[in-house]
Amino acid sequence: MKIKKLLLMLVFLMLGMLISFGHVQAAGDNYLQKVKQKGTLVVGTSADYPPYEFTVKKSGKTNYVGLDVDVAKKFAKNLGVKLEIKNMDFDSLLVALETHKVDMVIAGMNPTPERRKSVNFSQLYYRGNQYMLINKKDAAKYKNIHSFKGQTIGAQTGSLQYQLVKEQMKGNSIKGLAKLNDLVIALQSGKVNAVAMEEATAKAFAENNRSLKVINPHFDVTSSQTGSAIAFPKGADSMVTAANKTIKQIKQQNLINKKYIPQAGKYMTSNTKKSTMLNYWTYFAKGIEYTLLITAVSVFFGFLLGTLFALMRLSHVKIFHLIAVWYIEFVRGTPLMVQVMFVYFGIGTIIQSLPALVAGIIAVSLNSGAYVAEIIRSGIQSIPVGQTEAARSLGMSQREAYRYVVIPQALKNIWPALGNEFITLIKESSIVSIIGVGDLMYQMQLVQAATYKGVLPIFIAMVLYFIMTFGLSNVLGHFERKMKHA
Amino acid sequence: MLKDKEQTIIEVQQLKKSFGDDVVLKDISETVKAGQVICVIGPSGAGKSTFLRCLNVLEEPTSGKVLFEGSDLTGIKEEELNHLRQKMGMVFQSFNLFPNLTVLDNLQLAPLKVRRLSADQAQKQAHKLLTQVGLADKAAEYPASLSGGQQQRVAIARALAMDPEVMLFDEPTSALDPEMVGEVLKVMRDLAHSGMTMVVVTHEMGFAKEVADQIWFMADGYIQEKGKPEDFFAHPKTERAQDFLSKILS
Repeated sequence: MKIKKLLLMLVFLMLGMLISFGHVQAAGDNYLQKVKQKGTLVVGTSADYPPYEFTVKKSGKTNYVGLDVDVAKKFAKNLGVKLEIKNMDFDSLLVALETHKVDMVIAGMNPTPERRKSVNFSQLYYRGNQYMLINKKDAAKYKNIHSFKGQTIGAQTGSLQYQLVKEQMKGNSIKGLAKLNDLVIALQSGKVNAVAMEEATAKAFAENNRSLKVINPHFDVTSSQTGSAIAFPKGADSMVTAANKTIKQIKQQNLINKKYIPQAGKYMTSNTKKSTMLNYWTYFAKGIEYTLLITAVSVFFGFLLGTLFALMRLSHVKIFHLIAVWYIEFVRGTPLMVQVMFVYFGIGTIIQSLPALVAGIIAVSLNSGAYVAEIIRSGIQSIPVGQTEAARSLGMSQREAYRYVVIPQALKNIWPALGNEFITLIKESSIVSIIGVGDLMYQMQLVQAATYKGVLPIFIAMVLYFIMTFGLSNVLGHFERKMKHA
Repeated sequence: MLKDKEQTIIEVQQLKKSFGDDVVLKDISETVKAGQVICVIGPSGAGKSTFLRCLNVLEEPTSGKVLFEGSDLTGIKEEELNHLRQKMGMVFQSFNLFPNLTVLDNLQLAPLKVRRLSADQAQKQAHKLLTQVGLADKAAEYPASLSGGQQQRVAIARALAMDPEVMLFDEPTSALDPEMVGEVLKVMRDLAHSGMTMVVVTHEMGFAKEVADQIWFMADGYIQEKGKPEDFFAHPKTERAQDFLSKILS
């Protein structure tokens, strides 16, 4: 019976959220006015897609460049506002748009009918063909989509290319990954035989990798889908109109072909020239900084929450006990990845200015709180009841007995388990990279994108993670030995 | 601490305690007067420890009243109970020292956090009490490095640090090796001679005979018989007491 009631509550909760989602979408069209009021145009993109958008390092700072970024710059300039770029997974872009994390999305995105159902698109600002990237040694084998029979084709998940491969290459199995870089690694290591991607991007990869080659496999594409357009939230007609004006201007002056693409090409070659890892140490340093920051803050709040929930779980007040039990069970029974996305996009519906870093920290803290609660509970229960009785007989309240007698001893007992949890957190926090928090994992992907090197950045990140966890484990061990005297 | 000899410190009225179906204390009404030393004796399972733990409400009585200096401890607010408990020191069979704190800190913790003494006062008092129980040189040690007898003396000093009106002892020597019983009993004897009101649950008949003002003999959840030690040990009135004494003295 109890479970039924809880399920019912959960359903209502979800319904409530759905309604609030719907409500946001139905808001009146003051989008353009809002952007002008705040003075910044927040643009979502997935910067691993040269020449559309990618990163370069300039005097130690990461800059987003590419033809999409130039289009966005032009648009912002026409609106008279500043441009702010938010980089995230391609899959997360439209959700970010619907939940108003960003004002628009420009990411070489094709305005497919499916996408049109959930967002509004501007006119096409650029048309490119759909190409296939293959290993040079296979050049003789593969000519068009029919010569790939039985082979595995890679494509970015959620992309037009993925859709095309699925529909027009039915005899092939398809491998979808979120990052183009990972797909290229898969191609080079023979996991896939070809990667479907947009013309300009495919050419960029081929130019930077002598072992790769580009072919036009002649996908059958209806003209409406072959170009890129800017995505806006449903109902943001004022923004679409303004964007179309800018696009018209860009087309009239032929800016993309004459200016933006050549510029992007220059950045790409300069990236390749200095693609030793040493040049990118600032990326890794920044990543370590964020990873440690997220971990430290999450450890702090996770510990507070964990203590709170442990005490609630041990409480004689039934409602506290139940809340704590269900919280702990629920958090431990769902993946951290889902929790991170839920906090960022879900809570983000209510508080729209919630930054990804804060959302990441909240999610990781909430998650860690549940695990720490169980560790603390076991620690408290390991203290003999005589300790509490002695404290109470001296006139301490239940609270004082916990604070001065039970918890200090419990902490000593659970120190190793707590240490393990914190080490786990360093590793687990890598998941926040999916919402675009600049931790080590995320920086590693930026380095991959900038250098066109797949495996080496992964290896470096792995070693750096190990140095952090090993270092922390030694520090904790030192304190553990120090605490052992009694 | 110098109270009128006739002042009632603890009064128990129709005290009953059961754990589920198991009735441990059936109906007890007694008083403890200022300066009295009561030794509660009786066979195992008689309910002696439960009775003692009801006096400072570590066990909540099922029914009946426990009055401490006129206030009923069973029906009062938590804060008041905490406040009154300070005045009732307790010593446990298994010492229950705080293992993570030094001897000195064991003695200082409650005075600092509950009585809110200054650090200076608390420390002075702790050293004084350690001297009183003969452990002045152990202030910096941790409990684990002390013998059982030493630990129990620290526990007594810890209870005294709250400046109690009455001391409750729950079989304080039962967990000790025989050669350490003497040192603990000596501290308790000194305390009794200083005029402290004491309720002692014990199996040490020698101590009871020598120090107690009154013996309460408990069996089957009742106080079966009480009296001065010389009368009780020489001429027990009830059959239960005669039986008990013949067993332990044989």
